[in-house]
Amino acid sequence: MIKDSLFTALLLSLFGLANAEIQPEPLGKVNTLPESYPPHWIVVHDAAFFHMLDGRQYVLDADAESLPEQVKGMFNSSFIATVNQASVRPEMYVAETFFSRGSRGERTDVLTIYDKPTLAPVGEVILPNNNRYSGIPNQFANTLIDDEKLLLIFNLNPATSLSVVDLVNRKYVGEIPIPGCSLAYPTGKRGFTSICAGGDLYSAQLNADGTIASSGRTQAFNDIDTNPLFEKPAMVGSTAYFPTFLADMVEVDLSGPAATLGERWSLLQGDDGGWRPGGMTYAISDADGQLYVLMHPQGYDGSHKDPGVELWLFDPQSKKRLARHPLKTPALSIAITRDKASPLIIATNVEMALDVYDAKSGKYLRTLTGFGQETPFVVHGAR
Amino acid sequence: MNWLMKKLDRVTESRTRGVAQVTARRSFMGRLAMALTGVSAIPLLPVARAQDGQPAETGDPNSCDYWRYCAIDGFLCGCCGGSMNTCPPGTEMSPITWIGTCENPADGKNYIISYNDCCGKTSCGACLCNRNEADRPIYRPQQANDINWCIGTKNLTYNCSTAIVIGTALEQ
Repeated sequence: MIKDSLFTALLLSLFGLANAEIQPEPLGKVNTLPESYPPHWIVVHDAAFFHMLDGRQYVLDADAESLPEQVKGMFNSSFIATVNQASVRPEMYVAETFFSRGSRGERTDVLTIYDKPTLAPVGEVILPNNNRYSGIPNQFANTLIDDEKLLLIFNLNPATSLSVVDLVNRKYVGEIPIPGCSLAYPTGKRGFTSICAGGDLYSAQLNADGTIASSGRTQAFNDIDTNPLFEKPAMVGSTAYFPTFLADMVEVDLSGPAATLGERWSLLQGDDGGWRPGGMTYAISDADGQLYVLMHPQGYDGSHKDPGVELWLFDPQSKKRLARHPLKTPALSIAITRDKASPLIIATNVEMALDVYDAKSGKYLRTLTGFGQETPFVVHGAR
Repeated sequence: MNWLMKKLDRVTESRTRGVAQVTARRSFMGRLAMALTGVSAIPLLPVARAQDGQPAETGDPNSCDYWRYCAIDGFLCGCCGGSMNTCPPGTEMSPITWIGTCENPADGKNYIISYNDCCGKTSCGACLCNRNEADRPIYRPQQANDINWCIGTKNLTYNCSTAIVIGTALEQ
């Protein structure tokens, strides 16, 4: 009897163990992401400087503490691409270059449209003139205008122009020459402003078909020899804030059909002498319209790309500095998340890792690294 | 192409120091090799020919602090199978480029340096160097080292950068 009971118990336990086995799992499942990324997600542009054909865009959650929680996915961007994100469609736009035989052969420039939930290419527009700007990634080389209906892609060969792409119909529209000028800052209803070698700004408004409707220029005001404007302004609404090499801030109103010069003020006060802006992305704004500038001390001729050791926070209305935030590790590029409540600063540090700070207090929170990055030059807050 | 960064240089600085400590015992051989290289290279330099008998150049042309690299941004071709003024085998020199003005400490003169990129192969990956004296944003392209200057070559791919003397700078 006891023997029988033991046997039964053994059988039952074996049955229980069998029940605890890992069940067969479905094959072929692939994760997806939300159409609208949470406010603390970021898109990291790794230009892969040592392997330029293998550029990547990593989607990360800057709030998460562990690497598996931080990494949401990635997509590719070939040969030092430029990247932008739509906010009205779940799309991202990569202007990139391919060669028919890998590193050689026929060149193809293309705008690839990536889907945010799947990170898959869902469309492409060939850029027929193969003259896309190739160089350090620049967010103003890939500019959305006209409520994100049109995209302008900066070309330099070394003649300069803008390719116009109709994003609604995913169609190449044409090319606008901007001789002597570079890049595109959104301007007015359906226009752009470019920064010019003559020290002025050139603006144009476009017709719905991408042709020029009107254009204009400012006076020459940019002293390129002695105190040039950096070419990547911080945008607050339709006002561009251009830092200069010697620590001025130049305001440009881009709300009208053409750029209008605003005030010029100094980032320095008291005994700030020698401090200068610098790096690769050095000026950004938060949802409150406050400005953050990456600064380094003891500036000299050629220090404008040196890493910053402090982040200075300015109120552009009062033109006063609100805070100085020392960085844990010197940084090359800064970015910010889009939320108003508790934005995060993401700083690409000199070790090519991403330091995360609370934007308002400057408190260091964590470092994002080891996710496969090599040279994550530019970071974008998810839109 | 030219760019990258002092920032990376600073990252590698500590590693370089370590390497330097390791290689210090070989410094005599290194100096000898440099001297031999220098002797053979100097007669090829137009500026050296023009100033026969004058001190020509000092320093290591494969080191980022070499005088000619005051506005360079990229991989030094001398570390990639070329030299400071020649491209590695199988590449093509970009016909257009950006320029810098660098002072040669050996004679105190300012020289115009043409930083022609070598193109047609992917990044060399060695001796990354970025210095930005008189570098300007890309809206003044002829003084901008952020641009991939493999323009006008058969292929856009960037391998390394040279630093070629094309003349003396006019006195201010």
